[in-house]
Amino acid sequence: MDAIERESLEVDVLFVGAGPASLAGALRLRQLIDAHGGKPLDEISIAVIEKGREVGSHIISGAVMDIGPLAELLPDYAERGAPLESVVTDEDVSYLTATRKLRSPVIPPPLDNHGKYVVSLNKLIRWLGPVVEAAGVDIFPEFPGDQVLLDSDRVLGVRTGDKGVGRDGQPKANFEPGVDILAKVTVFGEGVRGSLVKKLVHRLNLDEGRNPQVYAAGVKEIWELPKGRVKPGAVMHTLGYPLPNDIFGGGFVYGMQNDLLDVGLVVGLDYRDPLTDPHRLFQEFKRHPAIAGMLAGGRMLHYGAKAIPEGGYFSQPKYYGDGFLIIGDSASFLNSQKLKGIHMAMQSGMLAAQAIYEALVAGRYDDTQLQRYEQLVKASSIEQELYEVRNFHQAFEHGRRRGLVESGLQYLTGGRGLRGDLKAEAGHRRVRTLREAYGKTPAGAADVPEPPPPRYDNKLTFDKVTDVYRSGTEHDEDQPPHLHVLDFNVCVERCTREYGNPCQYFCPAAVYEIEPVDGGRRPKINFSNCVHCKTCDIMDPYQIIDWVTPEGGGGPNYINL
Amino acid sequence: MANGILVFIEHADGKVSRASYEAVRAAQLLGAALGQETAAVVLGEGVAGLAAEVAAKKLGRVYTVESEWLKDYTADGYAAALKQVISQAEPALVLMSHTYQVRDFAPKLAAGLRRALVGDCIGYKAEGGAAIFTRQVFQGKLSADVAPAGEAPHFVSFQIGSFRGDEAEAGSAEVRALAVNLDADLVRQLPEARFKEAKAAVDLTQAPLIVAVGRGIKEEKNIEIVRKLAAALGAELAASRPICDNEWLPMDRQIGSSGQTVAPKLYVAVGISGAIQHLVGMKGARTIVAINKDPEAPIFEVADYGIVGDLFEIVPALTAEAEKVKQ
Repeated sequence: MDAIERESLEVDVLFVGAGPASLAGALRLRQLIDAHGGKPLDEISIAVIEKGREVGSHIISGAVMDIGPLAELLPDYAERGAPLESVVTDEDVSYLTATRKLRSPVIPPPLDNHGKYVVSLNKLIRWLGPVVEAAGVDIFPEFPGDQVLLDSDRVLGVRTGDKGVGRDGQPKANFEPGVDILAKVTVFGEGVRGSLVKKLVHRLNLDEGRNPQVYAAGVKEIWELPKGRVKPGAVMHTLGYPLPNDIFGGGFVYGMQNDLLDVGLVVGLDYRDPLTDPHRLFQEFKRHPAIAGMLAGGRMLHYGAKAIPEGGYFSQPKYYGDGFLIIGDSASFLNSQKLKGIHMAMQSGMLAAQAIYEALVAGRYDDTQLQRYEQLVKASSIEQELYEVRNFHQAFEHGRRRGLVESGLQYLTGGRGLRGDLKAEAGHRRVRTLREAYGKTPAGAADVPEPPPPRYDNKLTFDKVTDVYRSGTEHDEDQPPHLHVLDFNVCVERCTREYGNPCQYFCPAAVYEIEPVDGGRRPKINFSNCVHCKTCDIMDPYQIIDWVTPEGGGGPNYINL
Repeated sequence: MANGILVFIEHADGKVSRASYEAVRAAQLLGAALGQETAAVVLGEGVAGLAAEVAAKKLGRVYTVESEWLKDYTADGYAAALKQVISQAEPALVLMSHTYQVRDFAPKLAAGLRRALVGDCIGYKAEGGAAIFTRQVFQGKLSADVAPAGEAPHFVSFQIGSFRGDEAEAGSAEVRALAVNLDADLVRQLPEARFKEAKAAVDLTQAPLIVAVGRGIKEEKNIEIVRKLAAALGAELAASRPICDNEWLPMDRQIGSSGQTVAPKLYVAVGISGAIQHLVGMKGARTIVAINKDPEAPIFEVADYGIVGDLFEIVPALTAEAEKVKQ
């Protein structure tokens, strides 16, 4: 497969991943070029590649959104019909015990969403894609970035994935080799734990001296409720049940248009118990009387899951270099205290656009020139916002109770808190072994502790495969698995006894199954279930799972999420 | 005055396609019903052998058209050649099998002549000396009778399997060569090497009876007992995903969202829990029988008959009963 003749395509600027960061960046760049005065620029081509079947099919987020950057990018967004669900009309912050809901009498300032909007990011991106295309940006869906093309430390572009490779790795009749897309500047907006950014950061040591990234997993469903019951713009956030004190996270319920309710749970991926299962916790969350009551008589329509980068300021990699920039979630532009990243993603894309525009005018694309992006970020409001919450997530490393106290103190001290700037530990290192968590190392596969088998009623609660079905996920079955497990022996010889194969629990899409065989166990990878959340790549304790892009077009088909 | 039925013969790699004999059979039946002459046409280069093979069927005549332009199939070449054949032979009806090749050139041919084309028919009726063709509409939920109107010839293609090629009557037809004029202006297409189709898959969608096996079977060797039940019922054997993932049965026997979607008369689900991905592939079956040890398995929500119990006891008992009935 190495001697394949590949076509190459030259563009001026390439964005990888058609999310809010890239689309805002590409559009802003086009606007800046169109408004350019002085010595005319040559015709500038801007391309966006996207692994999903369509722009938007892999987009999922809460969300309560600060629409400032959208308004800045497209002042006439309302006339153009931007699909915002509703301005936030009603706010509820509650603490859940197993049976009760205790509503906070005041809205803590960080959770105050006054003036923000409930949106479906999925709908917003499906709307924004054509707007960006109409402005003169080429968007190529079904083209996943497979490799970064490098000349020592300089990024030359991206090689897209081959199409039509069989599960045996051999080309099929419909084989089409990937294309080398060469660009003056390549902008990585792959979202959280981007598969190219991960390798680029490693290769160029972009995370040197930074905290490791920490993550959360968000799992959610869209429900249709009887007419008139959902109040668009009503927002509820919960702490407590079903999460134990030592798990960071909480629930959310957002009212959308057309009787749709967005309900989900965010679970910090720095939990201790190796048997923790975010999807299962989410099902438990829905069983809470306060939530079950809201959902009664409704129907679950859609499901999705994604990881969220929560490390914040100190976990940001160096996000520029020779020939490249990193934007949005890929560069950890997310306020973990407010769990808001869309506005920062868009703004980081727009600041990247400004830096690229200046680079195009100067005709230089090296590290020194592109450092302008960092300067622009540092001078912007997103820098200030990130800096103020720089220690937020770290405060919760010792549990929720202490975290709430510490983060309160941080709020009062401009983010500093009592302990000064805090280090973070990667989630996969924090998870305990079975011996630490359950008192002993199992003697054999038969003694490995397992959570009791869940019972789901298929009305309020659903098993993973049913939820996966509701995510619309599809992959061509006849292709090599895109989840590379580097050494299966580790799974059965070490992981079973040390951690009890947590992959089968942390994956919210039933990709990983451990099948009993002749007294032992055998891992089975149902890669076609994968919803592209990257949790496995993040949480595997041995870091031997490498998530790579599957054949273009594969993955979820998110609607309304 | 146009008269007679002309059958288009498709061939590849020096062999007449099986589907073409289905069209020959249709022509024989229709010719007898309408009292019309039948003929067939073979296009290509060096097709005398193929023509002789076709001439061994009961047909009035077999036309051959030899041209270097027809060496490899192109829509341009076939449409242009058939247009000239039709002007010489003047048939009233041109019958074809609804193959990929026919789908490729027939619309061009019919539109070029401004004649009616009735595609993908499953049968015919002869009424008052004229033929009416039946085709399915609304994804097979309804059948419509279509009488082609306008000037002859009318073009008709039949769905594969609508007639039985092996029932084509033998005979001895006259072979006659026809000349056509083709050139680079008419044949603008340059064919590339033939696309290799994926390996032949089992078409479970046509099976009236299906016995499907799932994870409850536990081990590969146990599949034998389900295979026996399928054999006793004369049913096709199918499976849910885990069975095919383990390669205990080939992938083309998988039912569900990543396999085939079926709607047989009878579907017996053995040891299948009924994940939604499986249900969407079989819930259209007319009668569903489920055997599962878990009374809460979702398969029972769609089953007409549910048996809660150990499949290793139930399946052999069912097999024995089915065999008794057969005897």
